[in-house]
Amino acid sequence: MNLMADIILNVMVAFLFGSILLGFHRKVMARVQLRPGPPIIQHFLHSLKFFFKETGIPRTSSMPFYISITVILCSIWVAAVIIGPVNHGSLLLLFAIYAVYKIVEHNSGSSSGSPYGKMSCVRAVFSASSELPLFAIIAIIYLQVGSMNIGSIVAYQDINGPLIFKLPLVAIVLFILILSKSPYSPFGITKGKDIISGYETEHFGLLRGYIMLSESISWYILSWVFLTIFFGNLSFLSYTIGMLVIAFLIGLINATTPILNPNHSVMSQISIAILGFVGSLLLMFVVF
Amino acid sequence: MSENVYLIYLISFIIGSIGGLLFSYKQHGEVFIYNKIDILALIIAIVGWILLINFNFLIFILNPIISISIGLFLIAFVIGMRPGYGRYETFLAIVISALIYGLSSLLL
Repeated sequence: MNLMADIILNVMVAFLFGSILLGFHRKVMARVQLRPGPPIIQHFLHSLKFFFKETGIPRTSSMPFYISITVILCSIWVAAVIIGPVNHGSLLLLFAIYAVYKIVEHNSGSSSGSPYGKMSCVRAVFSASSELPLFAIIAIIYLQVGSMNIGSIVAYQDINGPLIFKLPLVAIVLFILILSKSPYSPFGITKGKDIISGYETEHFGLLRGYIMLSESISWYILSWVFLTIFFGNLSFLSYTIGMLVIAFLIGLINATTPILNPNHSVMSQISIAILGFVGSLLLMFVVF
Repeated sequence: MSENVYLIYLISFIIGSIGGLLFSYKQHGEVFIYNKIDILALIIAIVGWILLINFNFLIFILNPIISISIGLFLIAFVIGMRPGYGRYETFLAIVISALIYGLSSLLL
């Protein structure tokens, strides 16, 4: 297939499926809390709605950064689709994309001029210091497989079986990373409800549409990366079931867990990352 | 699995959900009171789940891509109804279509 068509198709699939998964996640949370909850396609409808709403720009915003940051946010997750599902490229590049995403989150808050945005911007730095060590666990995958390339990791699993059985602690750590990215997450300090919507608070209309679009794509990509590096080459049905299971589990956790304060959130995530890292090394070199 | 087919399935699911939501808001404008099974929604759900789960047995009549797409559209039409509606119908339809799948697998 033509590369450009492949990219467009994958981005559309990532957006549509990602928004359905986020809707499903919200539905699970609602059912756990004994509410009917919105329809599953609510996140998708919200995203569309924002694209047609009037876009307001606050006087205190830092232009043109305020506008361009949403486009950058969207672009980096489109780049993640190209590196992940389209090219089966390097995990290291996805790590770099996640690092840039944390910087964009920080700048999105600071560019709005809102105190909530600024508070979120400070928290984004905290959360980067805890989420990036979580993602750094991919170093263990390199030690096991000998490559950071997703294609090579899939090929390795075709011969040696799914990595989840060899590196269960790495899987838990990456699951925590997905959990920290989810809406209403216990680790979601940048969008905690004590600061309204955090860095998104002052982005309206089309700009919010871009943010929601990138949220859907990022959710799909993180789930895809998790399933691909721990279960190998899966069929369409297996990916669908896997992503639904991830969304269900995270919805269950989010519905029953309060949002931690920034200090606790950061320390919990760093502790999990250290335990996962050291535990995985022990499992690799001592137990197996 | 080609992304084209994946996209067709997703679009049919989303269109079905939006259709179901609009349809149920037209049918039920009142506050949510639910004490009976909607026969129309039940029939739509049963047809949808049969098409989705039993597409292998319908391969002589329908291309699997078409049957799965129509099935997803009909399933989403009932699942996507106004919150609270369509749950029992979906559950019954899954049971019936699973029974049909089981019987067909035994007989064929």
